[in-house]
Amino acid sequence: MEEPRIGVYICWCGTNIAKMVDVEQVTEQVSKLPHVVVSKNYKYMCSDPGQELIACDIQEHKLNRIVVAACSPRIHELTFRRALEKAGLNAYLFEMANIREQDSWVHDNREEATRKAIELVAASISRVKYHEPLDKRSVTINPATLVIGGGVAGMSAALEVANAGREVYLVEKSDRLGGLVNHLDLTYPYLYDAGSMLETLLRRTLNHPHIKVFCDTTVEKVDGFIGNFTTTILTENQQPVTLTFGNIIVSTGLKPFDASRVGEYGYGRLPDVLTSVEFEDMLRSGQILTRSGKPPQNIAIIHCVGSRNTEFHEYCSRTCCQVALKFANQIRTLLPDSNIFDLYADMRAFGKGCEELYTETSRKNITFMMFDQQKEMPQIIRSIDPADPHMLIFFREKISGLGLEVPADLIILMVGMEAHEDVKDVAHAVGISVCGNQFFIEKHPKLDPVATTTAGVYIVGNCQGPKGIPDAISQAKAAAARVLATINQGSVFVEVTTAQVNEAICCGCQTCILVCPYSAIHFDQNKRVSVVNEVLCKGCGTCGSTCPTGAIRSKHFTDQQILSQIAGLMEMTLKIN
Amino acid sequence: MKEETVQKPKLKLAVYWGAACGGCCVSVLDVHEKLLDVIAAADLVFWPIALDTKYKDVEAMPDKYIDVTLYNGAVRNSENEHIAKLLRKKSKVLVAYGSCAHLGGIPGLANFTTKEAIFKRVYETSESTVNPDKILPQTHFEVDEGILELPEFYNDVRSLNQVVDVDYYLPGCPPQSERLLEVFMLIATGATLPPPGSVVGASEKTQCDECKRVKTENKKVKRFYRPIDIKDDGVTCFLEQGVICMGPATRAGCGVRCIEGNAPCRGCYGPAEAVIDPGAKMLSAIATMIDSNDEKEIEKAVETIDDPAGTFYRFSLPASILRRALV
Ligand SMILES: Cc1cc2nc3c(=O)[nH]c(=O)nc-3n(C[C@H](O)[C@H](O)[C@H](O)COP(=O)(O)OP(=O)(O)OC[C@H]3O[C@@H](n4cnc5c(N)ncnc54)[C@H](O)[C@@H]3O)c2cc1C
Ligand code: SF4
Ligand code: SF4
Ligand code: SF4
Ligand code: SF4
Ligand code: SF4
Repeated sequence: MEEPRIGVYICWCGTNIAKMVDVEQVTEQVSKLPHVVVSKNYKYMCSDPGQELIACDIQEHKLNRIVVAACSPRIHELTFRRALEKAGLNAYLFEMANIREQDSWVHDNREEATRKAIELVAASISRVKYHEPLDKRSVTINPATLVIGGGVAGMSAALEVANAGREVYLVEKSDRLGGLVNHLDLTYPYLYDAGSMLETLLRRTLNHPHIKVFCDTTVEKVDGFIGNFTTTILTENQQPVTLTFGNIIVSTGLKPFDASRVGEYGYGRLPDVLTSVEFEDMLRSGQILTRSGKPPQNIAIIHCVGSRNTEFHEYCSRTCCQVALKFANQIRTLLPDSNIFDLYADMRAFGKGCEELYTETSRKNITFMMFDQQKEMPQIIRSIDPADPHMLIFFREKISGLGLEVPADLIILMVGMEAHEDVKDVAHAVGISVCGNQFFIEKHPKLDPVATTTAGVYIVGNCQGPKGIPDAISQAKAAAARVLATINQGSVFVEVTTAQVNEAICCGCQTCILVCPYSAIHFDQNKRVSVVNEVLCKGCGTCGSTCPTGAIRSKHFTDQQILSQIAGLMEMTLKIN
Repeated sequence: MKEETVQKPKLKLAVYWGAACGGCCVSVLDVHEKLLDVIAAADLVFWPIALDTKYKDVEAMPDKYIDVTLYNGAVRNSENEHIAKLLRKKSKVLVAYGSCAHLGGIPGLANFTTKEAIFKRVYETSESTVNPDKILPQTHFEVDEGILELPEFYNDVRSLNQVVDVDYYLPGCPPQSERLLEVFMLIATGATLPPPGSVVGASEKTQCDECKRVKTENKKVKRFYRPIDIKDDGVTCFLEQGVICMGPATRAGCGVRCIEGNAPCRGCYGPAEAVIDPGAKMLSAIATMIDSNDEKEIEKAVETIDDPAGTFYRFSLPASILRRALV
C-alpha cells in the first residue's frame, strides 16, 4: 500500500453544522491523527470554491485520500467523488463522515456534538486508508423498451418512446388496451369525452410501426440488468416469444376497490347500489335507470368507499371526490328534477380546475352533507316493503351532529383504488419493491419519482399510487424521457462496489446463492465455486457477510475497511474520555 | 539427505504447556517412532511433561539459546505469562502450538464468565467441595517455613500472541502429529520458512474444501439438531441435515478428521485465512439457513441451537472480536 496522505475537510454547512459543532476544534483534533496531511474547515464544502479547495490541496500536497465531514453521503457523496476525479484522483479514495443528519441536527449539547464529530471523522480517517481505487464499468444499452400494462399511462409511454424511433413491446394482461379509462364517460374537471381521447391513443398505439402490442399476456420473469434484459412471454395463441430490451416501464395501474367488503353499504345485496365504475358504464349508455328500469328520483353519492379508512385503506384514492362532482353534474343534466345527495367524509377537490368544478357543482341544487367515517359509517337499509325499491341512508351529519335519514332509489359508491392481486408477482418479475399499500416504490419520492432502485426499471401511472389521467400521462412521458436519454447514451455506468468471490477460497457451500436478493450469483459446476455476475450485483453486501469462508469480498466494504472504521471510532472515544 | 541433517549441529527444542490439557504434549509424542528422527535432529532442552528441567535452568540460558519453542496452552495465570515471556526471550522461533496457544482454545471459554464466578463455583458451590471457611486461592500465604507463592489467576484467558510476539501458529486441538513432523523437518533441514506470523501445518482453505460430503444450495432447515439427535446418512453435508458444522469457517489441515469420523467439525483449526472471526461468520451463515420468515418460528429454530456460544466460539473466544463476555 502506498503511504496514505489524507486531506480532511470539515464543512460548516452554513450554520447547520457550525452552530452545534465546534468545527475549529474538530479540524484541530483530527489534524493530529496519523497520515493526516491537511485538515481544514470551510463554510460550504459542496460549493464550487469548497470543491476547488480539495482539488488544489490534492495537487499541492500530493494527497491520495480525502475525507469530507459534512451532510449525508446520500446528498453529496457523488459531488465530492466527482471533485476527486476532476483532480485526477480515483473517486473511491474518498470517505464521507455525516456530521449533520447524524450529529448537529440531532443533538442539543454543543460539547457532546463536537466530541461525536471528532469520533466520526476519526473513524472515516481510519477507514479511508484502506480504500482502493475502483474502475467504473459500463454496459451497452439495447434500444428496445418493454412496457407492462396498456392503460393510458402505458400507451402514452410507449408512444413517446416509439415516436423517437425506438422499438417498444407493450404487454397487456387483459384482452384490450385502455385500462380503467375504457369505463369512463366524461372526464373531470372539464367534462371532456373520455371515449374520443382513448380512441386517439388506441389508434396511434395500434398503428405505430415501432410498437408491438401483446394482449392477453403477462410477464412472468425478466432476466438480466439495465441495458440487457430478456424475457419470454406466451402470446394470445400460446406461442412463446423471447424479447430483449434495455429498459422497462411498468404501468399496471390499480383496480377498483371491492365494495362488497363494506357490509354497511349492502353492495351485491341491494340491486340499486352501484359502484362508480358501474355508474360510468351506465352514463356511457346515455340513460340513468334503476334496476326496475325507471329513472330514479333520489340519488345519493357516498364518498371514500374503501379509502381513508383504517379498516380498508388508509390512503386517499385521490380521484373519487372529483369523479363524484363530475357525476353530480351529469345527473343534474340528465335528470334536472331529481334530488341529489352527496355524502362526503371530506371534499378533496384539489388540483387544476377541480375546486372550480366543486364551486360550480355546489350551485346546482345538490345537497352536500358530511359524515365521520372513523366514528360512524352511514348505514343503507331497504324499505320494509319488499316490493318498494326505495332505500334509506342513516347517518350522523358531522357538523350539526344530527342523525339524518336520506331517501334514495339509486346509490353510487365512490370506490377507491387498490393494487391488483398479482402486484407482487410483477414486482418480483422485474426486481422492484412494493410499499405497505402495495404501490410500487419510487427511487426517491421527490428527486427521482418515476425511477426505481433497480436501474432501468421505471414505474408510471396508478401502479405508483392513485392519480388522475393528467398525472398518469405526465409520469409516462417523464419515464419515456429517462428511457430515451439512456438509449441515447448508448451505454450506462453500473455499480462498481460489487461482490467478488475468491475462487481459491470458496468451498462451494452455496450459502451466498441463497441470500442474494438480485439472483446475481450462480454456481459453476465445473470449478465447484460460486460466481458473482458483477453486472447484476447491486453491492448490497448480503453475500459477503454470510459467506462463512470469507471468500467473498464486498468491494469498498471489505472487512478490513469496516473494522478499521470501528477501530478508529473506538480509539478516538477512548482517547477523548 | 538424512545423513546431512544428522551432521548439522543439533537444534535445541523446547516444549511448554501453559493453560493446557496435556493433549498437545501427547500429540508431540504421537509422532511415534518418528520421534527418533526428531531426537536425532534436535536436543530437547526443556519439556516439563517429560524432562525435569527447572525454570531456573531456562532462566540461566543465554537469550535466543533455544532454536524452536512449541508453546501449547493458553495464558490463564501469571505463571503462564511469565514463562511465555521467558521463552520468548530465550527462543529464536516461538510457535503457538495447538488451539489454546493459537486462539485461547477450550480454556478460553472461561471468558464467558469471571474469575469470581469461577472461584465461587470451584471452591464453594461445586457438589464435591467442602469448604466451610470459603477459602479461595491466594497469591501469597504465610506458613512457618516462610511465604508461599502461587501464580495469580487472571480474570481473562489470553491467546499466546496477546502476551508475546509469536512467529508461527500450528493450529489444532491438538495439532495433527503429521503436520508437526512436516513443520519440524522443514525447520531442521533449514528450508525457507514462511513469513513470520503465518499459520503453518495447515491449508489456506476450509474444511468444506476437503470434505467429501455432498453439499448443495439446499441449506434450509426448520430446526437444528445435536449430532446425537439425528441418524446421519453419512453422505449429506452436516449443515444440510441441520447439524451445525464449523467446517465452512474453519481452516483445513487436520484431514477433516472429525467428519471422516462422522462427527461435525468443531472448529479447532481456527479461522480460515480470509476469516477474521469464525464465530461471527458461522452465525451469519447459519442465520440464512432457517427456513422461515416468521419471527416466532425463527426464534424457535434459534432456540434449538444447543449452547450457541460454546458452539460458535468453542476454540476461538479470546482471539475473536468479542474476546470475552461483558459480565
Ligand atoms: C370511476 C373512475 C372514474 C375516473 N374518472 C377520471 C376522470 O374523470 N379523470 C381523470 O383524470 N381520471 C379519472 N379516473 C382515474 C383514471 O382511471 C386513472 O388515472 C387511469 O386509469 C390511470 O391509468 P393507468 O394506465 O395508470 O392505469 P389503468 O387504467 O389501470 O391501466 C392499467 C393497465 O395495465 C393492465 N395490467 C394490470 N396488471 C397487468 C399485468 N400484470 N401485466 C400486464 N398488464 C397488466 C391492466 O389490464 C390495464 O389495462 C377515474 C377512475 C375511476 C375508478
Ligand atoms: S458462501 Fe462463500 S464459500 Fe460458500 S459458495 Fe458462496 S462464495 Fe463460496
Ligand atoms: S453483494 Fe448483494 S447483490 Fe451482490 S452478489 Fe452479493 S448478495 Fe447479490
Ligand atoms: S489445544 Fe487442545 S489438546 Fe492442546 S492443550 Fe489445548 S485443549 Fe489440550
Ligand atoms: S459444513 Fe461440514 S459437513 Fe458440510 S461440507 Fe463443510 S465440512 Fe463437510
Ligand atoms: S474436523 Fe474440525 S474440529 Fe475436527 S480436528 Fe479438524 S478442525 Fe478440528
